[in-house]
Amino acid sequence: MRPDRIALETPIERGWEPVFRLVLGGVADRLDLGFEDLDDIQLAVERLLAEAGTQESVNLAFEILPEGLRTRIGPLREHAIAEALQGPEPRPGELTLRRILETVVDSFGVEIVDDGQIMVILNKRVRKR
Amino acid sequence: MTPAQPTRSPESDRDLLKRYHIGGDTGAREQLVQRHLPLVRSLARRYAGRGEALEDIEQVGAIGLLKAIDRYDLEREVSLTTYATPNVVGEIKRHFRDKGWAIRVPRGLQELNAKMSGTIERLTIKFERSPTIAEIAAELDTTPEQVLEAMEAGSAYSTVSLSSGPGGGGDDDDFDPMESIGSEDDEYERTEQRASLEPALEALPEREREILRMRFEDGLTQTQIAEKIGISQMHVSRLIRKSLSRMRDQLT
Repeated sequence: MRPDRIALETPIERGWEPVFRLVLGGVADRLDLGFEDLDDIQLAVERLLAEAGTQESVNLAFEILPEGLRTRIGPLREHAIAEALQGPEPRPGELTLRRILETVVDSFGVEIVDDGQIMVILNKRVRKR
Repeated sequence: MTPAQPTRSPESDRDLLKRYHIGGDTGAREQLVQRHLPLVRSLARRYAGRGEALEDIEQVGAIGLLKAIDRYDLEREVSLTTYATPNVVGEIKRHFRDKGWAIRVPRGLQELNAKMSGTIERLTIKFERSPTIAEIAAELDTTPEQVLEAMEAGSAYSTVSLSSGPGGGGDDDDFDPMESIGSEDDEYERTEQRASLEPALEALPEREREILRMRFEDGLTQTQIAEKIGISQMHVSRLIRKSLSRMRDQLT
Protein backbone atom coordinates (compact mmCIF):
# COMPACT_ATOMS: atom_id res chain seq x y z
CA MET A 1 0.00 0.00 0.00
CA ARG A 2 1.35 3.39 -0.94
CA PRO A 3 2.16 5.47 2.15
CA ASP A 4 0.32 8.68 2.86
CA ARG A 5 2.41 11.40 1.31
CA ILE A 6 2.46 15.18 1.46
CA ALA A 7 4.58 17.00 -1.09
CA LEU A 8 5.34 20.62 -1.77
CA GLU A 9 7.67 22.71 -3.84
CA THR A 10 9.14 25.59 -1.90
CA PRO A 11 11.54 28.42 -2.65
CA ILE A 12 14.85 27.85 -0.86
CA GLU A 13 15.04 31.39 0.45
CA ARG A 14 15.12 31.35 4.26
CA GLY A 15 12.04 33.52 4.56
CA TRP A 16 9.93 30.60 3.31
CA GLU A 17 11.13 28.19 5.97
CA PRO A 18 8.10 28.75 8.21
CA VAL A 19 5.93 27.22 5.49
CA PHE A 20 7.61 23.83 5.47
CA ARG A 21 8.06 23.94 9.24
CA LEU A 22 4.31 24.36 9.68
CA VAL A 23 3.63 21.52 7.25
CA LEU A 24 6.10 19.32 9.10
CA GLY A 25 4.46 20.33 12.36
CA GLY A 26 1.10 19.16 11.05
CA VAL A 27 2.62 15.86 9.98
CA ALA A 28 4.32 15.46 13.36
CA ASP A 29 1.03 16.09 15.13
CA ARG A 30 -0.60 13.43 12.99
CA LEU A 31 2.19 10.98 13.83
CA ASP A 32 2.26 11.86 17.54
CA LEU A 33 5.92 12.77 17.24
CA GLY A 34 7.42 14.40 20.31
CA PHE A 35 8.34 18.07 20.26
CA GLU A 36 12.06 17.31 20.15
CA ASP A 37 11.69 14.83 17.30
CA LEU A 38 9.79 17.45 15.30
CA ASP A 39 12.47 20.00 16.05
CA ASP A 40 15.14 17.53 14.90
CA ILE A 41 13.56 16.93 11.50
CA GLN A 42 12.93 20.63 10.99
CA LEU A 43 16.58 21.31 11.75
CA ALA A 44 17.75 18.58 9.34
CA VAL A 45 15.69 20.02 6.49
CA GLU A 46 16.79 23.56 7.29
CA ARG A 47 20.46 22.58 7.19
CA LEU A 48 20.05 20.77 3.87
CA LEU A 49 18.24 23.73 2.33
CA ALA A 50 20.98 26.01 3.59
CA GLU A 51 23.49 23.89 1.66
CA ALA A 52 21.40 23.73 -1.49
CA GLY A 53 23.39 26.49 -3.14
CA THR A 54 21.95 28.71 -5.81
CA GLN A 55 18.93 26.74 -6.95
CA GLU A 56 15.71 28.64 -6.50
CA SER A 57 13.33 25.99 -5.27
CA VAL A 58 13.24 22.44 -4.02
CA ASN A 59 10.70 19.66 -3.65
CA LEU A 60 9.96 18.27 -0.23
CA ALA A 61 7.94 15.12 0.35
CA PHE A 62 6.90 13.71 3.69
CA GLU A 63 5.90 10.05 3.67
CA ILE A 64 4.12 8.50 6.61
CA LEU A 65 5.40 4.95 7.06
CA PRO A 66 4.41 2.38 9.68
CA GLU A 67 7.74 2.89 11.43
CA GLY A 68 7.90 6.65 11.17
CA LEU A 69 8.46 9.56 8.83
CA ARG A 70 10.51 9.61 5.66
CA THR A 71 11.44 13.00 4.21
CA ARG A 72 12.70 13.36 0.63
CA ILE A 73 14.49 16.53 -0.35
CA GLY A 74 15.49 17.18 -3.93
CA PRO A 75 16.46 17.02 -6.66
CA LEU A 76 19.46 19.05 -5.50
CA ARG A 77 22.15 20.22 -7.86
CA GLU A 78 24.74 20.79 -5.14
CA HIS A 79 27.02 17.74 -5.25
CA ALA A 80 28.98 18.98 -2.26
CA ILE A 81 26.03 17.78 -0.18
CA ALA A 82 26.45 14.21 -1.43
CA GLU A 83 30.19 14.41 -0.82
CA ALA A 84 29.65 15.78 2.66
CA LEU A 85 27.15 13.04 3.50
CA GLN A 86 29.03 10.15 1.91
CA GLY A 87 32.55 11.24 2.77
CA PRO A 88 34.73 10.06 5.63
CA GLU A 89 33.53 10.03 9.21
CA PRO A 90 33.86 13.43 10.87
CA ARG A 91 36.84 13.73 13.19
CA PRO A 92 36.12 14.04 16.91
CA GLY A 93 35.08 17.60 17.61
CA GLU A 94 34.40 18.33 13.95
CA LEU A 95 30.94 19.68 13.22
CA THR A 96 29.83 18.72 9.72
CA LEU A 97 26.53 18.38 7.92
CA ARG A 98 26.94 14.64 8.23
CA ARG A 99 27.39 14.80 11.99
CA ILE A 100 24.36 17.06 12.32
CA LEU A 101 22.18 14.63 10.36
CA GLU A 102 23.58 11.63 12.23
CA THR A 103 22.47 13.33 15.44
CA VAL A 104 19.00 14.49 14.49
CA VAL A 105 17.62 11.67 12.30
CA ASP A 106 17.75 7.89 12.65
CA SER A 107 19.18 7.33 9.17
CA PHE A 108 19.77 9.17 5.93
CA GLY A 109 20.80 8.42 2.39
CA VAL A 110 21.56 9.96 -0.96
CA GLU A 111 20.08 8.84 -4.28
CA ILE A 112 21.22 9.95 -7.71
CA VAL A 113 18.26 11.05 -9.80
CA ASP A 114 17.82 12.76 -13.19
CA ASP A 115 20.81 14.51 -14.73
CA GLY A 116 23.06 13.41 -11.89
CA GLN A 117 21.18 15.51 -9.37
CA ILE A 118 20.72 14.11 -5.90
CA MET A 119 17.83 13.32 -3.60
CA VAL A 120 18.46 13.24 0.15
CA ILE A 121 16.31 10.92 2.22
CA LEU A 122 15.88 11.34 5.96
CA ASN A 123 14.26 8.71 8.17
CA LYS A 124 12.91 9.39 11.64
CA ARG A 125 11.34 6.61 13.68
CA VAL A 126 8.26 7.16 15.77
CA ARG A 127 9.00 5.97 19.25
CA LYS A 128 6.31 3.81 20.83
CA ARG A 129 4.64 5.45 23.80
CA MET B 1 26.11 23.78 80.59
CA THR B 2 27.74 24.26 77.25
CA PRO B 3 28.51 27.85 76.46
CA ALA B 4 26.61 29.17 73.49
CA GLN B 5 28.64 29.12 70.29
CA PRO B 6 29.15 32.58 68.90
CA THR B 7 27.05 32.91 65.78
CA ARG B 8 29.03 33.76 62.69
CA SER B 9 27.45 36.58 60.81
CA PRO B 10 27.36 36.15 57.07
CA GLU B 11 30.03 37.98 55.15
CA SER B 12 28.96 41.34 53.86
CA ASP B 13 28.71 42.01 50.14
CA ARG B 14 31.71 44.22 50.49
CA ASP B 15 33.82 41.45 52.04
CA LEU B 16 32.84 39.10 49.24
CA LEU B 17 33.58 41.74 46.62
CA LYS B 18 37.03 42.22 48.14
CA ARG B 19 37.66 38.48 48.11
CA TYR B 20 36.69 38.36 44.46
CA HIS B 21 38.33 41.52 43.16
CA ILE B 22 41.50 41.43 45.26
CA GLY B 23 41.95 37.72 45.91
CA GLY B 24 40.39 36.41 42.69
CA ASP B 25 38.08 34.14 44.69
CA THR B 26 35.42 33.03 42.20
CA GLY B 27 33.57 31.27 45.02
CA ALA B 28 32.90 34.70 46.51
CA ARG B 29 31.56 35.84 43.15
CA GLU B 30 29.22 32.85 43.07
CA GLN B 31 27.99 33.67 46.58
CA LEU B 32 27.24 37.21 45.48
CA VAL B 33 25.34 35.94 42.46
CA GLN B 34 23.25 33.58 44.55
CA ARG B 35 22.60 36.27 47.14
CA HIS B 36 21.34 38.76 44.55
CA LEU B 37 19.38 36.46 42.27
CA PRO B 38 16.13 37.32 44.09
CA LEU B 39 16.76 40.94 43.05
CA VAL B 40 17.15 39.81 39.44
CA ARG B 41 13.94 37.76 39.63
CA SER B 42 12.07 40.67 41.11
CA LEU B 43 13.26 43.04 38.37
CA ALA B 44 12.64 40.46 35.64
CA ARG B 45 9.01 40.04 36.74
CA ARG B 46 8.38 43.67 35.79
CA TYR B 47 9.09 42.74 32.19
CA ALA B 48 7.04 39.54 32.12
CA GLY B 49 4.06 39.25 29.78
CA ARG B 50 5.81 40.89 26.86
CA GLY B 51 6.03 37.78 24.77
CA GLU B 52 9.04 36.12 26.32
CA ALA B 53 9.32 33.48 29.01
CA LEU B 54 10.10 34.87 32.45
CA GLU B 55 13.02 32.48 32.87
CA ASP B 56 14.64 33.85 29.73
CA ILE B 57 14.28 37.42 31.04
CA GLU B 58 15.76 36.31 34.36
CA GLN B 59 18.70 34.84 32.54
CA VAL B 60 19.35 38.09 30.72
CA GLY B 61 19.04 39.95 34.02
CA ALA B 62 21.58 37.58 35.59
CA ILE B 63 24.07 38.62 32.94
CA GLY B 64 23.55 42.22 34.10
CA LEU B 65 24.18 41.11 37.67
CA LEU B 66 27.42 39.38 36.71
CA LYS B 67 28.60 42.45 34.87
CA ALA B 68 27.80 44.61 37.90
CA ILE B 69 29.80 42.31 40.17
CA ASP B 70 32.72 42.27 37.76
CA ARG B 71 32.75 46.02 37.25
CA TYR B 72 32.12 47.05 40.84
CA ASP B 73 34.65 49.61 42.01
CA LEU B 74 35.70 48.93 45.61
CA GLU B 75 36.60 52.56 46.11
CA ARG B 76 33.02 53.68 45.63
CA GLU B 77 30.77 53.85 48.66
CA VAL B 78 27.69 52.39 47.08
CA SER B 79 25.96 49.14 47.91
CA LEU B 80 26.07 46.32 45.38
CA THR B 81 22.26 46.27 45.25
CA THR B 82 22.18 49.93 44.29
CA TYR B 83 24.92 49.45 41.74
CA ALA B 84 23.50 46.24 40.28
CA THR B 85 19.89 47.37 39.84
CA PRO B 86 20.46 49.71 36.86
CA ASN B 87 22.84 47.14 35.35
CA VAL B 88 20.22 44.40 35.52
CA VAL B 89 17.42 46.63 34.24
CA GLY B 90 19.66 47.99 31.50
CA GLU B 91 20.56 44.50 30.34
CA ILE B 92 16.90 43.49 30.21
CA LYS B 93 15.85 46.66 28.39
CA ARG B 94 18.67 46.28 25.90
CA HIS B 95 17.57 42.72 25.31
CA PHE B 96 14.02 43.78 24.52
CA ARG B 97 15.16 46.73 22.43
CA ASP B 98 17.74 44.87 20.35
CA LYS B 99 16.22 41.45 20.17
CA GLY B 100 12.53 42.04 19.99
CA TRP B 101 9.96 40.49 17.73
CA ALA B 102 11.40 40.65 14.24
CA ILE B 103 8.00 40.63 12.58
CA ARG B 104 4.54 41.58 13.75
CA VAL B 105 3.19 38.66 15.73
CA PRO B 106 -0.33 38.79 17.19
CA ARG B 107 -0.28 39.27 20.94
CA GLY B 108 -2.24 36.07 21.52
CA LEU B 109 0.43 34.03 19.78
CA GLN B 110 3.19 35.85 21.65
CA GLU B 111 1.51 34.98 24.93
CA LEU B 112 0.95 31.39 23.90
CA ASN B 113 4.59 31.14 22.86
CA ALA B 114 5.67 32.51 26.22
CA LYS B 115 3.62 29.85 28.03
CA MET B 116 4.88 27.01 25.90
CA SER B 117 8.38 26.84 27.29
CA GLY B 118 7.24 26.10 30.83
CA THR B 119 4.49 23.80 29.61
CA ILE B 120 6.91 21.70 27.58
CA GLU B 121 9.21 21.40 30.57
CA ARG B 122 6.38 20.37 32.90
CA LEU B 123 5.10 17.78 30.44
CA THR B 124 8.61 16.45 29.77
CA ILE B 125 9.01 15.79 33.49
CA LYS B 126 5.50 14.34 33.78
CA PHE B 127 5.77 11.97 30.80
CA GLU B 128 9.54 11.43 31.04
CA ARG B 129 9.75 12.16 27.31
CA SER B 130 9.22 15.06 24.96
CA PRO B 131 5.49 15.88 24.72
CA THR B 132 3.60 15.77 21.45
CA ILE B 133 1.94 18.78 19.86
CA ALA B 134 -1.47 17.43 20.87
CA GLU B 135 -0.38 17.04 24.48
CA ILE B 136 0.98 20.59 24.59
CA ALA B 137 -2.26 21.86 23.05
CA ALA B 138 -4.39 19.98 25.58
CA GLU B 139 -2.34 21.35 28.46
CA LEU B 140 -2.69 24.90 27.17
CA ASP B 141 -6.36 24.39 26.35
CA THR B 142 -5.87 25.27 22.71
CA THR B 143 -5.58 23.54 19.34
CA PRO B 144 -2.53 21.83 17.80
CA GLU B 145 -2.69 24.40 14.99
CA GLN B 146 -2.38 27.24 17.49
CA VAL B 147 0.56 25.51 19.16
CA LEU B 148 2.32 25.13 15.82
CA GLU B 149 1.65 28.75 14.96
CA ALA B 150 2.96 29.86 18.34
CA MET B 151 6.09 27.77 17.86
CA GLU B 152 6.59 29.42 14.51
CA ALA B 153 5.96 32.82 16.05
CA GLY B 154 8.79 32.01 18.46
CA SER B 155 11.16 31.70 15.54
CA ALA B 156 10.28 35.28 14.64
CA TYR B 157 11.76 36.27 17.96
CA SER B 158 15.51 36.46 17.92
CA THR B 159 16.90 35.76 21.33
CA VAL B 160 20.54 35.99 22.25
CA SER B 161 22.58 37.61 19.53
CA LEU B 162 25.43 35.44 18.43
CA SER B 163 27.35 38.55 17.52
CA SER B 164 27.40 39.44 21.16
CA GLY B 165 30.16 38.66 23.54
CA PRO B 166 30.79 35.51 25.50
CA GLY B 167 28.76 36.90 28.35
CA GLY B 168 25.67 36.66 26.25
CA GLY B 169 25.28 40.11 24.88
CA GLY B 170 25.64 43.70 25.67
CA ASP B 171 26.79 46.92 24.16
CA ASP B 172 30.03 46.86 26.05
CA ASP B 173 31.31 43.52 24.95
CA ASP B 174 34.32 43.86 22.73
CA PHE B 175 34.34 40.36 21.36
CA ASP B 176 32.78 39.99 17.94
CA PRO B 177 32.96 36.49 16.47
CA MET B 178 32.36 37.90 13.03
CA GLU B 179 35.67 39.69 13.22
CA SER B 180 37.63 36.65 14.21
CA ILE B 181 36.80 34.83 10.99
CA GLY B 182 39.53 35.02 8.40
CA SER B 183 38.66 36.88 5.25
CA GLU B 184 41.29 35.55 2.90
CA ASP B 185 39.77 32.18 2.10
CA ASP B 186 40.67 30.96 -1.32
CA GLU B 187 38.32 28.78 -3.32
CA TYR B 188 39.97 25.58 -2.12
CA GLU B 189 39.49 26.53 1.50
CA ARG B 190 35.89 27.44 0.91
CA THR B 191 35.23 24.06 -0.65
CA GLU B 192 36.82 22.37 2.32
CA GLN B 193 34.78 24.46 4.70
CA ARG B 194 31.53 23.46 3.09
CA ALA B 195 31.96 20.06 4.67
CA SER B 196 33.01 21.39 8.02
CA LEU B 197 31.66 24.23 10.09
CA GLU B 198 34.68 24.03 12.35
CA PRO B 199 36.32 27.41 11.64
CA ALA B 200 33.09 29.24 12.37
CA LEU B 201 32.50 27.08 15.42
CA GLU B 202 35.66 28.44 17.00
CA ALA B 203 34.30 31.96 16.62
CA LEU B 204 31.10 31.33 18.57
CA PRO B 205 30.75 32.41 22.19
CA GLU B 206 31.70 29.73 24.70
CA ARG B 207 28.14 28.93 25.72
CA GLU B 208 26.95 28.35 22.16
CA ARG B 209 30.01 26.19 21.44
CA GLU B 210 29.32 24.15 24.53
CA ILE B 211 25.68 23.65 23.56
CA LEU B 212 26.67 22.46 20.07
CA ARG B 213 29.31 20.17 21.54
CA MET B 214 26.81 18.64 23.97
CA ARG B 215 24.23 18.13 21.23
CA PHE B 216 26.34 16.93 18.31
CA GLU B 217 29.41 15.46 20.03
CA ASP B 218 28.02 14.02 23.24
CA GLY B 219 24.58 13.30 21.76
CA LEU B 220 22.65 14.90 24.62
CA THR B 221 19.02 15.77 23.97
CA GLN B 222 17.80 19.35 24.12
CA THR B 223 16.10 18.56 27.41
CA GLN B 224 19.33 17.24 28.93
CA ILE B 225 21.25 20.28 27.72
CA ALA B 226 18.57 22.59 29.08
CA GLU B 227 18.88 20.95 32.50
CA LYS B 228 22.66 21.19 32.48
CA ILE B 229 22.91 24.86 31.66
CA GLY B 230 19.71 26.05 33.29
CA ILE B 231 17.71 27.36 30.36
CA SER B 232 14.56 26.09 28.71
CA GLN B 233 14.45 23.40 26.05
CA MET B 234 12.96 25.88 23.59
CA HIS B 235 15.81 28.26 24.28
CA VAL B 236 18.32 25.48 23.59
CA SER B 237 16.54 24.77 20.31
CA ARG B 238 16.67 28.41 19.28
CA LEU B 239 20.34 28.75 20.20
CA ILE B 240 21.31 25.64 18.22
CA ARG B 241 19.40 26.88 15.19
CA LYS B 242 20.83 30.38 15.36
CA SER B 243 24.37 29.11 15.93
CA LEU B 244 24.28 26.80 12.92
CA SER B 245 22.75 29.46 10.69
CA ARG B 246 25.28 32.03 11.76
CA MET B 247 28.14 29.64 11.24
CA ARG B 248 26.90 28.70 7.79
CA ASP B 249 26.43 32.34 6.84
CA GLN B 250 30.03 33.05 7.76
CA LEU B 251 31.29 30.39 5.40
CA THR B 252 29.49 31.63 2.29
